[in-house]
Amino acid sequence: MSESAIITTNNVNLWYNGKRALESVSIKIPKNKVTALIGPSGCGKSTLLRCFNRLNDLIDHVKITGEILLDDKNIQEPGTDVVTLRKKVGMVFQKPNPFPKSVYENVAYGPRVHGVKDKDTLDTIVEQSLHHAALWDEVKDRLNDSALGLSGGQQQRLCIARTLAVEPEVILMDEPCSALDPIATAKIENLIDLLKQDYTVIIVTHNMQQAARVSDYTGFMYLGKLIECGKTVQIFEHPQEELTENYITGRFG
Amino acid sequence: MAEKFHTELQNLRQDTLGMAHLGRDMLRSAVDALIRQDPTLAESVNARKGEIHDMEVRLEEHCYHLIALYQPMAKDMRFIACTLKVINASLRIGRYGKVIAKIVKEISDKPHIANLMSLPHMADLVIDMVDDAIAAYESDNLTLIEGFSARDDTVDALRHSIFREGITYMMEDPKNISRCTHYIMVARYLERCADHTCKIVENVHYMETGERIEIK
Repeated sequence: MSESAIITTNNVNLWYNGKRALESVSIKIPKNKVTALIGPSGCGKSTLLRCFNRLNDLIDHVKITGEILLDDKNIQEPGTDVVTLRKKVGMVFQKPNPFPKSVYENVAYGPRVHGVKDKDTLDTIVEQSLHHAALWDEVKDRLNDSALGLSGGQQQRLCIARTLAVEPEVILMDEPCSALDPIATAKIENLIDLLKQDYTVIIVTHNMQQAARVSDYTGFMYLGKLIECGKTVQIFEHPQEELTENYITGRFG
Repeated sequence: MAEKFHTELQNLRQDTLGMAHLGRDMLRSAVDALIRQDPTLAESVNARKGEIHDMEVRLEEHCYHLIALYQPMAKDMRFIACTLKVINASLRIGRYGKVIAKIVKEISDKPHIANLMSLPHMADLVIDMVDDAIAAYESDNLTLIEGFSARDDTVDALRHSIFREGITYMMEDPKNISRCTHYIMVARYLERCADHTCKIVENVHYMETGERIEIK
């Protein structure tokens, strides 16, 4: 990868209760690109994703070795402020998980936590974030309605808007479309394409066609190892590793 | 589902091989009809043009269905891309057989000039190339297609030689003009068949390795 890397991992290993889930993973995530992680269930792709904002810290008995550099700073260092880290590295999950509050409050929540109090500033942030998440036109007249009344696809875009509101550098997406219908999926995929102008996106997906459609780079993982990582076109047209070839052509997994 | 898809790919390969053999047989029969001045054999080639056209449409549609339904990737995608080229090349080769067969009817009234010059030899070389290209597609065996560039050069040289020799016979006696023009055209058709065969070979190489080559 010739582009400058925003995240670099060097020889990362991770154990859950002594069971190894990641093995010597070294990957560079290029800035302002979409990188997809693919692989069969249990291969470690979500685990790797959760390393990037230290979400694995929330799980007991996890041991991590190796370096994870964000903007050349090792986020594994004990002095790292994880709140700031998670502001820089936002996350969107498989199932939309809006707060049981209004649409406005969902988006304004993050900036408020980080100290923004001025109403006009919050209004601007909410509007911009909803615009960026391609949701503004659909919700501008119902900002005070409950977020739980939105459709699944709208809720997921609201979660993306909520992430954008705190101005992250990187957005992690863990199977963001697996609970959505094809129309809502297409909207999220279009959005991912727009987001890369301003953000770096890392997406975990079990849907290889989705990885092929939305990403610039693809990493294939198997049994905790990063088998191959390269330009998406190369991975899907002519992978270097036989394991990758066999996986993406459906010969195993 | 992957198993069903791979069974479909195997069926596609078998059907495409059937079409490739049909195209090759049309060319072989047309050349034999030319050599033996056998209009009946030539007519049998002409009679198969509808069959090869129908195969082209059916097999292309099969490829498009597989792309639409299964979104193939990596080697599977390259196999279908290669198969589309094999289908096209086989149709062209079969059609050149048909065109040569049509000539047979026009020049079977008198003996051949100079035993057709080098045309029978040239045809053998081209049909050997077609056979090896088909076998490479069938067996994923790249050793069969080594040296294709040199073989294509030989075919090109023979076409040029037949052209010059034909001109010489025309200059000797204007009554030879019509017949020698047909010989020169047949040499040109055979050379085009070799070119289409090279296209098959280039695509078999891509199918196997993912790398593009050009046979010049």
